[in-house]
Amino acid sequence: MFLSVGVRFEANVEALNMVETAGNYSKHRRVPYLVEEDGRLKTVYVPALSGESLAHAYQEHLVREALGLGLPVCDDCRRDEFYKSMNKVHLKKKVNPIPDDPRDIEIAIVRSCVVEDVGGFLYAEKPPVRRSSAFQVSYALPVKSVALFATSEPQLHARHAQMDSSSKKGNASEQMIYYVETGTALYGFTFNLDLDAIGVSAITSEPILDEDEIKTRREAALRALFRMLSSAQFGAKLSRFFPVGGITEVAVAVTEHPFVVTSPIYDDYIARTERRLKVLEGLGENYLFAVATGEKVPEEALKEAMDYLREQGAF
Amino acid sequence: MVPLTFFLKVMMRPTGIVALRALPQSKMRTALRYVPPTTLIGAISYPLHHLSGNRAETVYDRKTVKSTADGIRNLFEWVTIKTIGKPRLYGALLKINKTHRGELQTAVTSFPFAVMYGSGDSTITAVYLVNGEELSKGPYTMKDLERAAWGITRLGSRESVVSVENVETGKAEISEASSAETSYAFPFKGFEVQGRGTLQSVVDWRSGIGDYSSAKRIVMFYPEDTVKVRGELRTATVGGETLVLAP
Repeated sequence: MFLSVGVRFEANVEALNMVETAGNYSKHRRVPYLVEEDGRLKTVYVPALSGESLAHAYQEHLVREALGLGLPVCDDCRRDEFYKSMNKVHLKKKVNPIPDDPRDIEIAIVRSCVVEDVGGFLYAEKPPVRRSSAFQVSYALPVKSVALFATSEPQLHARHAQMDSSSKKGNASEQMIYYVETGTALYGFTFNLDLDAIGVSAITSEPILDEDEIKTRREAALRALFRMLSSAQFGAKLSRFFPVGGITEVAVAVTEHPFVVTSPIYDDYIARTERRLKVLEGLGENYLFAVATGEKVPEEALKEAMDYLREQGAF
Repeated sequence: MVPLTFFLKVMMRPTGIVALRALPQSKMRTALRYVPPTTLIGAISYPLHHLSGNRAETVYDRKTVKSTADGIRNLFEWVTIKTIGKPRLYGALLKINKTHRGELQTAVTSFPFAVMYGSGDSTITAVYLVNGEELSKGPYTMKDLERAAWGITRLGSRESVVSVENVETGKAEISEASSAETSYAFPFKGFEVQGRGTLQSVVDWRSGIGDYSSAKRIVMFYPEDTVKVRGELRTATVGGETLVLAP
């Protein structure tokens, strides 16, 4: 089974993805946006969130959900440091001595960590062992039709320090100014999850785990997505720049084989996805399409998808 | 008699960016602006294998490590793309974790990708010319290929998620010509081209997908719009559009 979710969220005054600092100035991630003016293309820069940032947040939720269901998570991933068995140093924490056969290496990693099972890894030693992530996530970009209204503006802040009498400046209060660039936009992103990849070898196609554990891991992967979206816990600086707004729309498609909802950065994404799913129906495939716009809340659409997957025996 | 071959024409919408590394195992500081044929083969390989329950990504053949996409490349006689919109290369900064002399460190690097994002609708249309003989020998049918085309999830790596908006199937007419007008990428070899476009060196997928370090490369011309091509051409007509094939 394959799950694809299109998400639209409104974020006012957010600092969800900061990329660099220049002195006391923290910059928001931005991407070029091409607009046509008088028949010529010009570039404007709009705020964005990288897929890496969203993927990191999802995997943090996956750690919590997996542990809550009594599933194994390796020490690195428990600390939200997703090194993913990238070399001998990290792999030895899971299996020592390290086997020569790539199949045995994959088995050792998948058995000992749900995050590396679902999120993939690349053991970059000899022999190299690679496992693609079972989930895919796009950049979060401003919705096209209103992208030119997206802004990123620096906000001035001051940090104060009380200087004592031993300091050079005597007993005066000091302040330090700094700027945080805040973005405001209606964002859209796409998230896909290939449930059939979980617990199955990317070398032999054979299941590495027993069926019950595979199903529990799938449940953890779905719960993590539910939690991430429902709690709006993704991105950086949430403690002081928690975005004002929230998820406005969600479109969830569940299909037997890979299928991606039309990106929510396009205004017609729901209608187009529906039409495309009808074609799959014509090819003899069952599907579920749940949409939360207007009265329905995102959690209801996500729950509908989870109920459908449970009925289908996915978990 | 005009030779006919099955085709799949797959229209895709990017979700914003397309991350195409120019060289695997590079330091990720170069990217391709346009989608190379190897990526198109890899993109359809994943959903096609999904249909048969084949989850394998890597084939270990003694000391050679290959992508499983290599196993389906013979199903295609030719693959190419048309790009609407002008991709722009952009290198976002990323914080990465790395090991240096046994110590873990964090570092900042750039990860370039092609931005397919603008006020107009950017689309990528891939055409796969199917080798009917090879298809009949294997486990897949034309219907499987059509379903797989609907299941393409991304082009390239990481965040390059795409949605397939339309799939057209039919029979392409293969012929010879001295001139043609095309919007699809073609091998730039001995042809005279009138119009704007970009030259890009890509791996020749016909020589194998897997080990790119010693792979044969071809130079492809990616038209910005429609270009006129003159020379001793082999062309294919696909749903009213013309492709220029390898000589």
